[in-house]
Amino acid sequence: MNARVPTYCYQCVAGPDLLTVKVCDGAATAVEPNFAAASVHPGAGKVCVKAYGLVQKAYHPGRVLQPMKRTNPKKGRDEDPGFVPISWDEALGLVSRKLNEIRTKGLLDESGYPRVAASFGGGGTPQSYMGSFPAFLAAWGPVDMGFGSGQGVKCYHSEHLYGELWHRGFTVSPDTPLTNYLISCGANVEASGGVAGVWRHAAARERGLRRVQVEPHLSVTGACSAEWVPIKPKTDAAFLFALIHVLLHEAPRERLDLEFLYRHTSSPYLVGAHGYYLRDPGYGAPLVAASLEAREEHVALEIGADGEVLAEGALHGETAFAKLLAHMQRYSPEWAQTVCDVPAATIRRIAREYLDAARVGEFVFVENQKLPYRPVAISLGKTVTNGWGGFECCWARTLLAALVGALEVPGGILGTTVRLNRPMSERHRSVRADPDGLMAYPFNPTDKARWSARPNIRNAYRTMVPLAADGPWSQALGPTHFSWMFLDETPPGLPRVTMPELWFVYRTNPAISFWDTAALERRMARMPFVVAFAFTRDETNHFADVLLPDAGDLESLQLIRIGGSKYIEQFWDHEGFALRQPAIAPRGAARDFTDIATDLAARCGLTEKYNASINKGALGVPLRDFSIAENAILKTEQIWDAVCRAASTELTGEAHGLDWWKEKGFATRPFPRSAWYLFPTLAAKGLRFEMPYQERLLRIGTELGRRLHENGIAWWDKQLGEYQALPEWKDFPGLWQAALGSAAGDFPFWLLTSRSMQYAWGANVGMQLIKEVADNVAGHRGVVLNSSKARELDIRDGDWVRIATPQREVRARAVLRQGIRPDTLLLLGQFGHWATPVAKDFEMPSMNSLVPMSMDLTDATGSGADLVRVSLRKAA
Amino acid sequence: MSALQRNWDARAAANFMLGGAGAGLVACAPLTGNSYATLAGLAMIAAGLGAVWLETGRKLRAAHVLFNPFTSWMTREAFAALLLFPLGLFFPLLAAPVALVFLYCQARILRAAKGIPAWRAREVVALVVSTGIAEGAGLALVISAERWLLGVFAAALVVRYFAWRRYRAAVRSDALELPGRTLGWVGTGAALVLLPIAPPVAGLAAAACGAWLKLALVTRASFKQGFSLPHLPVRGAP
Amino acid sequence: MTRWAMIADLRRCVGCQTCTAACKQANATPPGVQWRRVLDLELGEYPSVKRAFVPVGCMHCDDPPCMHVCPSTATRKRADGIVTIDYDLCIGCAYCAVACPYDARYKVDKQEFAFQEKIESEKHDSKRIGVATKCTFCVERIDAGLARGLKPGVDPDATPACVNSCIAGALHFGDAEDPDSNVSELLAENQFFRMHEELGTGPRFYYLWDRKP
Repeated sequence: MNARVPTYCYQCVAGPDLLTVKVCDGAATAVEPNFAAASVHPGAGKVCVKAYGLVQKAYHPGRVLQPMKRTNPKKGRDEDPGFVPISWDEALGLVSRKLNEIRTKGLLDESGYPRVAASFGGGGTPQSYMGSFPAFLAAWGPVDMGFGSGQGVKCYHSEHLYGELWHRGFTVSPDTPLTNYLISCGANVEASGGVAGVWRHAAARERGLRRVQVEPHLSVTGACSAEWVPIKPKTDAAFLFALIHVLLHEAPRERLDLEFLYRHTSSPYLVGAHGYYLRDPGYGAPLVAASLEAREEHVALEIGADGEVLAEGALHGETAFAKLLAHMQRYSPEWAQTVCDVPAATIRRIAREYLDAARVGEFVFVENQKLPYRPVAISLGKTVTNGWGGFECCWARTLLAALVGALEVPGGILGTTVRLNRPMSERHRSVRADPDGLMAYPFNPTDKARWSARPNIRNAYRTMVPLAADGPWSQALGPTHFSWMFLDETPPGLPRVTMPELWFVYRTNPAISFWDTAALERRMARMPFVVAFAFTRDETNHFADVLLPDAGDLESLQLIRIGGSKYIEQFWDHEGFALRQPAIAPRGAARDFTDIATDLAARCGLTEKYNASINKGALGVPLRDFSIAENAILKTEQIWDAVCRAASTELTGEAHGLDWWKEKGFATRPFPRSAWYLFPTLAAKGLRFEMPYQERLLRIGTELGRRLHENGIAWWDKQLGEYQALPEWKDFPGLWQAALGSAAGDFPFWLLTSRSMQYAWGANVGMQLIKEVADNVAGHRGVVLNSSKARELDIRDGDWVRIATPQREVRARAVLRQGIRPDTLLLLGQFGHWATPVAKDFEMPSMNSLVPMSMDLTDATGSGADLVRVSLRKAA
Repeated sequence: MSALQRNWDARAAANFMLGGAGAGLVACAPLTGNSYATLAGLAMIAAGLGAVWLETGRKLRAAHVLFNPFTSWMTREAFAALLLFPLGLFFPLLAAPVALVFLYCQARILRAAKGIPAWRAREVVALVVSTGIAEGAGLALVISAERWLLGVFAAALVVRYFAWRRYRAAVRSDALELPGRTLGWVGTGAALVLLPIAPPVAGLAAAACGAWLKLALVTRASFKQGFSLPHLPVRGAP
Repeated sequence: MTRWAMIADLRRCVGCQTCTAACKQANATPPGVQWRRVLDLELGEYPSVKRAFVPVGCMHCDDPPCMHVCPSTATRKRADGIVTIDYDLCIGCAYCAVACPYDARYKVDKQEFAFQEKIESEKHDSKRIGVATKCTFCVERIDAGLARGLKPGVDPDATPACVNSCIAGALHFGDAEDPDSNVSELLAENQFFRMHEELGTGPRFYYLWDRKP
């Protein structure tokens, strides 16, 4: 008997993709797009290559198909864990016994950190697979979610934090359906933007979008762009600063969107001698100058950090814009050329093309609303938007949009989702006024009274990173490597960082995906009790005490929200829900995650809290009229039936149960396109974008510095330097070279990584199908280096080479290509597996084992970057 | 052996080496005055066909090779072979022209393979036919030194040499450079010098050089054309 | 008269291999056999280098060399232009593989599976062992779709798997003889080439590279 079962794939943040699974005689055989979704999905309902691996994933011979416990108490990479099969009863008994012991002792340990920790990878995507486990965690209480598995060094960290500050842009995207000119600094949307990104950019190219790819190697996105600019790694800020210089100092002023700058940004705010806004002595609000470049004298106050009045009376001020003009004078294209190895003429031409394409003064109607039309955008990729220099790049990108009025308007750049501001589901509602006429931001307090000297979790985000805010996502957006780093030695001023007594791991493999993986492994080996929900054995669950096989992607049940406006290019014209349902019966003893969570809650005596949490909305929808009895122990289908009814009621007013959703797979309603653009909301509230001047950052940075010093913390001083009102170029590449000390000359190559679309987010690394098709894309078989450079080094295609830092060395096969700078090497994706079945035979190293986890290479937001200086030689 | 096959290997090459030389030998056999020459040639052809049969994926369906005489030179080669064996056994004189037909079919098999530039060249036909005759005549010299045979051999060497030059002018293949040069110096030059002194040695040298060239042609010069883009795609506004 | 043709819009293709994967799954091809695949080509030298992605496979030529050389008549051409292989006739001589200028044909001599052991989603297919195989334009899907009154290239259930799967909208399928078909319109509006046109094979696979001036 044949059937097509509708479901979804959300293995990476660029999903979800809606698909159908072909089932023949009870076996899944193929994946197809859910053609019914073509009219509501921004990528015509197509399905990413990764989803085609789901069939092999279900039947993978290496799957863990029943619970296992470790028998070898010694943990280490070279120790065989000695996993032996056990029953579910025994496995959950082991876990709940540990949990109950912890509950008895107290949820927090002597340092004030949660005794239970949990790591979930994939930018939140595991939540689309973990059924009702979030309700269990909510019922449990404090959990340390700050043990990093990739975030910070592998994400767009600066964009997340500063993007939310400036325009509610946790992720920032061009308005691809309308953009005509796009400068893409390392953003590899064809590999990271999912189906929607690929589909939209293809349509845009055909329409005539001109995209300039600025990147050290010719990535897939570079290949599909009109122009490739091979820039020196980590110098994008210099390139962007020079673009700003051309717009400010070479283009006629009236070519800029002066009205936007004057009325909708903080450009006309007057800045006093000490660098803070001049304020009305009565109301305290910043004073707005009569014109954009005015220098004016007013009776005013200048208030610095901690409310200190720095000056009062008749004070001279100049506008933020005037300060910007003076600040950017030095960053000419000729200057930038020496830094980033891009000819000044190229920079100048690109700046002019950008300005010409901006169509300042034009309007467009979106759903009968007249909005500015500015079809120019800049997108930033990983390594550009994280680590040192990320702040400067994000600022420059946002400012370049503001200068031509292309911020949050049709054709310009859009923040597509919020994760730090609330409510997370609707970024327009997160727009609230602050007293300065800007958008309020939930900074972690830095004033003396409220600054958090005692971190709530080990990575100390609330203490160290005001921009990380304090919402559900903040733990994962702090300096997540600190949790690992400080286990060895906690720096002065913080409570001693302790081992969590129980660590849950799901759909994440930090032993592969984080930086400095060897150091991480050593610390993982000391974790006292690790509970890993396991698909196959892998490098992280090698250190586990219990392996729990949750039912797989095609075997379990869950309803999620789709559409609206989410990550990257996932801004839709529709919104609704999609169901993931069993296309096949769970294999072996695998159990639906919801069943596991319900069982664990019962064993921990948390059933009532767990059900209450579900009723409140922990599964994505408040159940309201369909609430479940708080003392009932329900089956998976009963729980999701209630969720389905609540969701369909919210969507259409009609309550449809699980059977209806199983048949339909998904349901949507229109999502207004005007909701893509934040500008009208700000304009309606009379609020301004905080551009160009960063008075708030200057203030909180100064305050944070004082608090830290008061508490004996001097090891964050370098990071405090990032809090600048107008960012300056710093020698960012030099930071990585300096990390090598005097040996810098012996390590002449930059080693970078780049997204492999086929393997993005890593959940499918053991699939033969994916390996086979990915190998058709250059770079999946070894390290990519420039052909001419290779000739100099007598290296031929396919030769084994050694890539080394002063500490470590890896081997790879040479892949010779013309499309890469001679000083740059590229290792695609994140491999280097040694335990994961199939992947451990790839002979493909990872840069993660070479990148040192260090305080010096941590920026003020707590992020690092995928970048390391290496040597290269032919292997003997 | 890899499970996946996309080219011909030495088994197919053996058909061109053994079959080509064998057909040449059958064609030259009447000049030797030795009745075993035809039999030896037939044996070589049979061995070549046996080798290529080993390369087929469905050996029990060998008879299907006869299904397409309308366009396939492989079918025609098979028909020629079917005719050749009874004729060779019973009417050796009649077998000689059929052997040449067989040889011609072999040449056309390569010529029809459009995927491989080194094969599809027009010039390959003269090369394969002439070397087959030269090899066959060379092998015949082992058992006979009839004057006519010497003449045919010498003429075939010269023709083959020019066929090779003409082929090489049309097709450049690194894999053929060394066998080709050897064919010129050893298989032609040295063979002609040796011919009056030691005809069998001259003959074997010529045959060996021809075989090596064909081995290289079938197995190493068989690069596919690959792909090329006459126009680069325009990615957005240039 | 119907003449099925495929179009690859090189402006849109990103080399993601989704079509490769979809084809492998839809046609259950063994490891290493890719009836549809996408080449990743570089042209020029640093820094003036271009990279292009080119979907390839059987071009279903008007004058297919593979068919002419086939000694067993296993390779044939249907009236609608689709070049087929009769697995019951093929002797697996691989002559077609060397005759095809597009490297589109495969022959495997033993059954292999994705992992060492067979998994439930796979099945033994002895018919395809030791014979030539290649892209069929998903002919069964087309025929079944036509029988249901569907339009290939428009209705997914009558359209080749690679085209259905393409996330860039680069692959199109349709009747080149129908002036109103999607492919005819695309060919009328855009500049295109066919691979190795000079060989005279008449491939039915068109590559778009720019709009018409």
